[in-house]
Amino acid sequence: MGSKLSIIVFSGTTDKILSAGVLSQAAAAMGSEVNIFVTFWGLLSFTKGEKKMMLPKEFEHMGQAMMEGMAREHVKPWYEMIKEAKEFGAKVYACSMACGVMGIKREDLDPIVDDMVGAAYFLQQAEGGQTLFI
Amino acid sequence: MEGVKIIDSRGAACPGPITDLARAYRNSKVGDVFELWATDKGVRADTQAWATKTGNEITEVKEDPEKIVIRIKINKR
Repeated sequence: MGSKLSIIVFSGTTDKILSAGVLSQAAAAMGSEVNIFVTFWGLLSFTKGEKKMMLPKEFEHMGQAMMEGMAREHVKPWYEMIKEAKEFGAKVYACSMACGVMGIKREDLDPIVDDMVGAAYFLQQAEGGQTLFI
Repeated sequence: MEGVKIIDSRGAACPGPITDLARAYRNSKVGDVFELWATDKGVRADTQAWATKTGNEITEVKEDPEKIVIRIKINKR
């Protein structure tokens, strides 16, 4: 108990955001405090509206097979994973600077996002725990 | 089997089973016994890690062709 996982979601492709989802949900289930800080390309999936599947160019040809594999194995979409993590208290923050750069306003963010904050706040939340940059 | 609460996570991929266990744990009390049913192959190691982390105890692990069954005794809330 008393452990903490903080994840910086920088990447915008679905494969990497899925990793962030799995780790968030698992850490939350383990009783850890979870903080997710979404910045730059990651923000494209944390605005309101449909979550589009995006894969890195070199793996695009595998998209269909991956979707089929995920359906077969009952892997939930990353959005559901983060929602499950939030059920255990995980927090999702959007980077205020990157939102500014990308023209994203507070009201454009998906309801899954708890707040728009700066780097100093995130670092303070993450202090003393494990931090991943994805 | 009296008093054993079954958590049926068969078919759920990681980290589904451990999440189902954590959800049941939230409403548990000391002395409760859970039986986690799962098909995800990571569930043995994951449940062991969860039990170590939360201070609870795995009392039995069984595997049959359809599922892995892990019995967990709640020692700590």
